[in-house]
Amino acid sequence: MACARVPLDEQQVTEPGPLGKERTLPALHPDRIEDRCFMPYKPPPAEGSAAVEEFLEHSRFIAEDLEWLLALPHDKFWCQVVFDVSVHRCLDSYLHDAPRGLDLSAVSSSPAVADMQRSVHRLVFLTFLRMATHKESKDNFLTPAVFGEIIYENFLFDIPKILDLCVLFGKGNGPLLHKMIENIFTQQPSYYSDLAETVPTVLHVFDSILDKCGLQCEGATAMEPMKLNEHKQPTAMTMSQQELVDIILYLCDSTTTIHAFLDIFPPACSSFHGFLSRLPSFYEAAIPDLEKALKKRNFEDKALQEDLWKRVSHACRKMLETAHLLLHNTCLQPILDGKENIQTFAEELLQHFTSFLPEKRFLVDYDELFPVADDVSLLQQALPVIDETRMSYLLQGVESAWDSVARRKPQS
Amino acid sequence: MAPPRLTGALRSFSNVTKKEDVNDQLYDLKAKRLKRQQLFAREGLTWKKMVHLCSEPQDKVKQHAASQELKSLLAAAKQIVGAEYGQEAIESAAVFLFQTFHSKDHVGTEETRATKHMFGPFPASAAESSCATVTRLVALLGDSRVENFIQSQSSHHDPQRSTSFGRNITFSYDCYTLDPLEDLPCSSFEEESLNLSN
Repeated sequence: MACARVPLDEQQVTEPGPLGKERTLPALHPDRIEDRCFMPYKPPPAEGSAAVEEFLEHSRFIAEDLEWLLALPHDKFWCQVVFDVSVHRCLDSYLHDAPRGLDLSAVSSSPAVADMQRSVHRLVFLTFLRMATHKESKDNFLTPAVFGEIIYENFLFDIPKILDLCVLFGKGNGPLLHKMIENIFTQQPSYYSDLAETVPTVLHVFDSILDKCGLQCEGATAMEPMKLNEHKQPTAMTMSQQELVDIILYLCDSTTTIHAFLDIFPPACSSFHGFLSRLPSFYEAAIPDLEKALKKRNFEDKALQEDLWKRVSHACRKMLETAHLLLHNTCLQPILDGKENIQTFAEELLQHFTSFLPEKRFLVDYDELFPVADDVSLLQQALPVIDETRMSYLLQGVESAWDSVARRKPQS
Repeated sequence: MAPPRLTGALRSFSNVTKKEDVNDQLYDLKAKRLKRQQLFAREGLTWKKMVHLCSEPQDKVKQHAASQELKSLLAAAKQIVGAEYGQEAIESAAVFLFQTFHSKDHVGTEETRATKHMFGPFPASAAESSCATVTRLVALLGDSRVENFIQSQSSHHDPQRSTSFGRNITFSYDCYTLDPLEDLPCSSFEEESLNLSN
C-alpha cells in the first residue's frame, strides 16, 4: 500500500521485485499491474443457444474482472487502468459495441442475457466514473494537473468515448455524467481543442448523409466540380432498402448522440456553435426527402417501415432540440444572465432566427416545439431597446412559413 | 454487424483518438480460462495444504481412505482440465473441485456453470465423480473441520470487496428510446399505396 496524504503521482512504494528482492518504485508504475487479460466485450447475440452461452461466459469474465478492478485500492486501480492495454480494449469495445436503447434489437429476449448485460453496463459506468475522479478521499488522490495529463495522454477519455458515455448512460445518470465530464474538461482543457477539431467531422457526417441521398450539400458543392455521372447517383427513393435503413439508423444515432452530449454538458455548446448554420439547411434538404421515400417506397415489412418513420421523426426532434439547446446556451442564457455584451448575443440570436426563415419546414417544426415568439418576448424583456421592426419582420416570417407549408399552428 | 454510429465515424476520420494497435493481443475464451486457472492457483488454498489436512493425525484407516480419495479427485480433475496440462494445473483443478463440491451432494446448475467457466466444456461423468469423491472425503474428515479449513484458506472473503468503488452509487439503467415528433401517419401510407396502385 502506498503512503497517505501525498498525491499518488508523487508516491513511492517498496515491493518485492520479479526475483523476490525488495525494490522501491513509483506508485504509478507498469510493473505493478496484474496480468489479468481483460477480454473485449461482445454484444448480446440475436439468437442461438450456443451464442447465448458464449455471450454469458464472455460477459461473466468481464464482470468478474471489472468487479476486481473496482475493488482494487486507489494506487493499484490507477496502475491497472493506465498501463494495462487489455483494460483499455475491454472498455473501448464496450463503448463501441454495447447496444444503445435505440438499436433495432436492443433488448434481449433472454432474461439471463439481459441480466448479464445490465451487470456489465453498470460496472463499465462505475469504472469510467472512477477514472474520471481524481480525488476519491482525502488520502487517495492525484494532483489535478497530473490527472489531466494521465487521462489525456493515455486516451483514457477522448471525445468519441465521452459521446458514447453520454448516449449509453446519460438518460438516467445525467447529473453524475455532467460532473464526470466537467471534471475531465476542467482538469484537461485540451479536450476543448479536441472538441473543436471534432465538429468538422460531425458536419462531414451530415454532408455524407445528404450525399448518399443524392442531395446537394452546401459545403461540398461550392468546392467540388459536379461529376459527369452525377445524375446516376442513387436517391432515397432508388437506393437499396438496406442502404436506406443504414442511413436512417446513422441519422438517428448521430442526432441522439449529439443531443445527449450537449444536454448533459452544455459548456460544449460554444464549440458546436457553427453547427447552427448547417443544421437547418440539412434538415430542410434531408427530412422531406427521407419522409417521401418512406411513404412511397414499397416495403414488404410494414413494421420496418413504421419503425423507420419513427426514427426519422425522432431524429427531427433531436435536431430541433439541439438547435434550441445551442441557441439557448450560446445566445439567450448569457442575455438572461445579464452578461457583458448583451447586445452582441441578442444580435447573434436574431441573426440565427433570420437565417432560419428560408428553411420553412425546419422553422415550422422548430416553432411548434419551441415557439420563436416566446424567445423574442424574452429578448424584448431583457433588452427593451431592441429594434421592433426587425422583431415583427421575424415573427411575420415565422407566420408565413406556417402558411407556406400548409400547416396550422397549434393554439397555445 | 454493428449499426453505423457517429462515434465510429469520429474514430475513423478525426485525429482525437488513439489509433488501434493491430499488434495488441486479443484474448479468447480459452486463453482467458487458462489465465483464470493460473490466478486461481495463486489464491489461498493449495493442493499441498489439502494433502496436509488429510494426513493430519487421525486413524490410519481413515488416512489411507482419504489418500485414496485424493487420488480419485486428481484423476477426475485430469479429465476435466485435460491430460495435456501438467501436474500443477491438475492439482489446482482438484483444489477448485474440492472448493466447489465440499458442501454439495450433487452437481447442480451453479456448480456446472462455475466448472465450465473455469475449464470450459468438460465430461459430466468427471464432474459427478469429483462430487462423489469430495463428498466421501468430507465424510472422512468431518464437515466442520473441512468448513473451517476452507474458510481459513480461502481468499474469496477479500476485505477489499466490501469497499469496492461505487457500491453506494445509485445507478440508473434507463436508456434513450425513440421519441418521435409525430405518430405514424398510417392513413397517408395507405393513400400513397393506393395512388401507386392506381
